[in-house]
Amino acid sequence: MPMRPEVLKGHLDALLLAVLETGSQHGYAIIEALRAGTDGALDLPTGTVYPALHRLERAGLITSDWETVTGRRRRAYRLTTAGKRALHEHRTVWNEFSAAVTAVLTPRPTAATT
Amino acid sequence: MTGPPALPAEERLTQYLDEIAAALHGPRRRQQRILAELRDGVEQSAHTRTARGATPEQALAAALAEFGHPTDIANAFRPEMAIADARRILAWLLATGPLVGLWWLLILHPQPWHGGPAALITAIPVVPLIAVAISCALATLVTTGRLIRWIPEAAPRTAVTAASSVAAFIVACDVTIIAVGWSAASAEFLGVIAVGASLARIACSISALHSMVTWQHRLNR
Repeated sequence: MPMRPEVLKGHLDALLLAVLETGSQHGYAIIEALRAGTDGALDLPTGTVYPALHRLERAGLITSDWETVTGRRRRAYRLTTAGKRALHEHRTVWNEFSAAVTAVLTPRPTAATT
Repeated sequence: MTGPPALPAEERLTQYLDEIAAALHGPRRRQQRILAELRDGVEQSAHTRTARGATPEQALAAALAEFGHPTDIANAFRPEMAIADARRILAWLLATGPLVGLWWLLILHPQPWHGGPAALITAIPVVPLIAVAISCALATLVTTGRLIRWIPEAAPRTAVTAASSVAAFIVACDVTIIAVGWSAASAEFLGVIAVGASLARIACSISALHSMVTWQHRLNR
């Protein structure tokens, strides 16, 4: 089931940076990569992804250029050095956070009553 | 009863982008970039569908449905566009500082090296106001630019309010300096240039102020 965009609040930047880690991509390819990489769970609307990319570029975490691919002009985004560093930090925080939440949410065997 | 005939795919896409353009406000170059990106995205989405066997019209209709209503897309860009516009105006106002201030320095020739800051403020009473405007502009540019990855980011509403305040400060500065320096300025040719530069900046600042107030209304919707 697709997740609502508001559920991803706080994690969208990390997701977009992670998609760009493998190389430069244009906006729609990023949306498709998120959808395909999560079996459709992250089917983010255009109105969420494109403005987020512009904000990441403003923060200097990604950069973009016009490219011509098979006669079509498209804006390709790529990670900057600061973006790679930010992604590493996001991963560290996420690993610690998810481990802590998993530890609390994982059902524990109930103690036998006497 | 049947509806109007469906538009050819290219015409329908142009109409869709025109509807976004009509609802998209902000710096023109940024608008053009967004529209070009969206066109490419819609075309890519439609291309994927035609490759799976859909007709161009069916593929485009599905792609447009995926991208969403033009107004929703334009609204999604509103915070980024507000910040881009506020930054553009602040950068412009900062750049005009030396261009206008130079002429007034030449006419009012303050001598701070003799009388200290007090002499500077006596000769140009708007100096404290200018210092506040510059500080406010720089703080906003910093908290909406590259440093946001380290420091808290200013909200679009804050950036727009700061830009409108700076524009209002500049208008107050220029009106005051014309009033204070009029007798000195009217006596020499440089004065005509100084007054002309200030009047031009007042007009531009009022236009910028109007633009920022409009953004405040848009962001409050």
